[in-house]
Amino acid sequence: MTRRKLAILVTQVVVLILVFGGWQLFTSLKIVDPFFFGQPSGIVRTAWQWVQHGTNQGSIWLQIYTTMEEAVFGFLIGVAAGIVVGVLLGQFRFLSEVLSPYIKAVNALPRIVLGALFVIVLGLGISSKIVLAAFLVFFVVFFNAYQGVREVDGNLVNNARVLGASRMQVIRNVVLPSAMTWIIASLHVAFGFAVIGAVVGEVLGAQHGLGVLITDSQNNFNTDGIFAGMIIIGLIALVAEWLISLLERRLLAWRPQMSSEASAV
Amino acid sequence: MTVASTFSRRSRASHGARERTDAAVQAVQIDLTGVTKRFVTPSGSMFTALRDVDLTIDAGQFCAVVGPTGCGKSTTLTMVAGLERPSAGTVRVGGQPVDGIAPGTSFMFQADALMPWKTVVGNVALGPVFRGVPKKEAQDRARDWLRRVGLAGFEDHHPHQLSGGMRKRVSLAAALINEPSILLMDEPFGALDVQTKAIMSDELLSLWDQSKPSVIFVTHDLEEAIALADKVVVMTAGPGTVKAVFDIDLPRPRGSVQEIRFGQRFTELHHEIWESLRDEVTRAYARTSAPASPVATVEEVRS
Repeated sequence: MTRRKLAILVTQVVVLILVFGGWQLFTSLKIVDPFFFGQPSGIVRTAWQWVQHGTNQGSIWLQIYTTMEEAVFGFLIGVAAGIVVGVLLGQFRFLSEVLSPYIKAVNALPRIVLGALFVIVLGLGISSKIVLAAFLVFFVVFFNAYQGVREVDGNLVNNARVLGASRMQVIRNVVLPSAMTWIIASLHVAFGFAVIGAVVGEVLGAQHGLGVLITDSQNNFNTDGIFAGMIIIGLIALVAEWLISLLERRLLAWRPQMSSEASAV
Repeated sequence: MTVASTFSRRSRASHGARERTDAAVQAVQIDLTGVTKRFVTPSGSMFTALRDVDLTIDAGQFCAVVGPTGCGKSTTLTMVAGLERPSAGTVRVGGQPVDGIAPGTSFMFQADALMPWKTVVGNVALGPVFRGVPKKEAQDRARDWLRRVGLAGFEDHHPHQLSGGMRKRVSLAAALINEPSILLMDEPFGALDVQTKAIMSDELLSLWDQSKPSVIFVTHDLEEAIALADKVVVMTAGPGTVKAVFDIDLPRPRGSVQEIRFGQRFTELHHEIWESLRDEVTRAYARTSAPASPVATVEEVRS
């Protein structure tokens, strides 16, 4: 580890201690009311209790698993649909021009509200959350995939065509890899939306999940519980972010190293 | 390609084709008759890039096209390749009208057209892979071609790790691996420095000599055109049309393109063609430097 990296890590830890230490200090001194703002020690106690004795909805692991399942399935479905539709519309100009006003209209809707509809239609199980998560993810990935396809270098496409590529071969060998940079960039944001979809879906009506845990805490005026739920979701998002970065590095290994990355060594 | 054999071909062309054991390559004649190409500009007006181009390139002939910027040289190539259709007139390859992309044609673009995410060998293997050759065999052939263009040892590099000259070699290998009967080159060495350009020109000639496809080589560089070609076509400033055609009677093999240009016949040809080209270059330049073209002003005054 270089000095620079070490300095960054140390500062990060200091920031963490300052924020949580300050929070703990101010709430202990009753400058800030812990009833409304929670308290780090209380948050840890609540989380520990969940792990040891379970929650009102059952084991904490079941809640985490449920939310993860919804988010991951929603993410995968949304990404797949986003790529397919993005590539299709990017390739077929007529189709994209016909659909463009509708897509813009749907995109302008507060989509999260559709969660209420999905809960009514699909029930309190995980499917309504998966659909909401997939719906949110779809738009993020779709717009990036579409843009990526439109930005493909015409020279590369012509070159592949002259070399004898069929339309499918052009899509597979030129359009998709070329748009991949754009698509991957959207995945970071997209997973966040998947988690939002899952949790909001649970808040709107479910039997299990971190969203339910948070509403349950809310109903009991348990601010520590709300924060504990938030922190668990945050940790999950961090792990997912790390996995996506790994995927990114693998899929985009061909890219020349960025000058900023090179200088940081 | 029986049509091609009916054309009188130079003896060395057929000889060269026979020498290559694996080459089923048979060069074909290219005919452009009355070819006109118009584009609709974004503002909605009509723009004529090419007007009434009549041009014949014999089978196995190396034809260079020179002309000022924007005279439709590249457009000519895209129509021969079948990437675009003429607005009027016909393009024939081996006697057949061009209708879509022809399998026997390879195109070397001005800009790098290598897939940055594929390795060098992956890029060269694309042609055969697209044509259904099994991947393993395609890669073997690609390695073989990379050796021929002097890039053995760089198979697993990515294009961005290579110099401009090396990337051009990769493009050249990728274009030749399909064993084209027609090779279209759009200022392929335009971005290279003078020395690298000379080396690449020499290598292009020796590779061309092995299979003798018909070549249309578009360039700005008159010396390059004379050094390489059997025939130099001068095009007018846009809308482009054929102004004059010069046969280059320099003997082959030409040897180093760096040295050939000091020969007396070379200088004569250069002088002769430049006389023809100069007016067009001046006209094109006047148009780009003066926003309102002088011709238009005169017209306006008259009306």
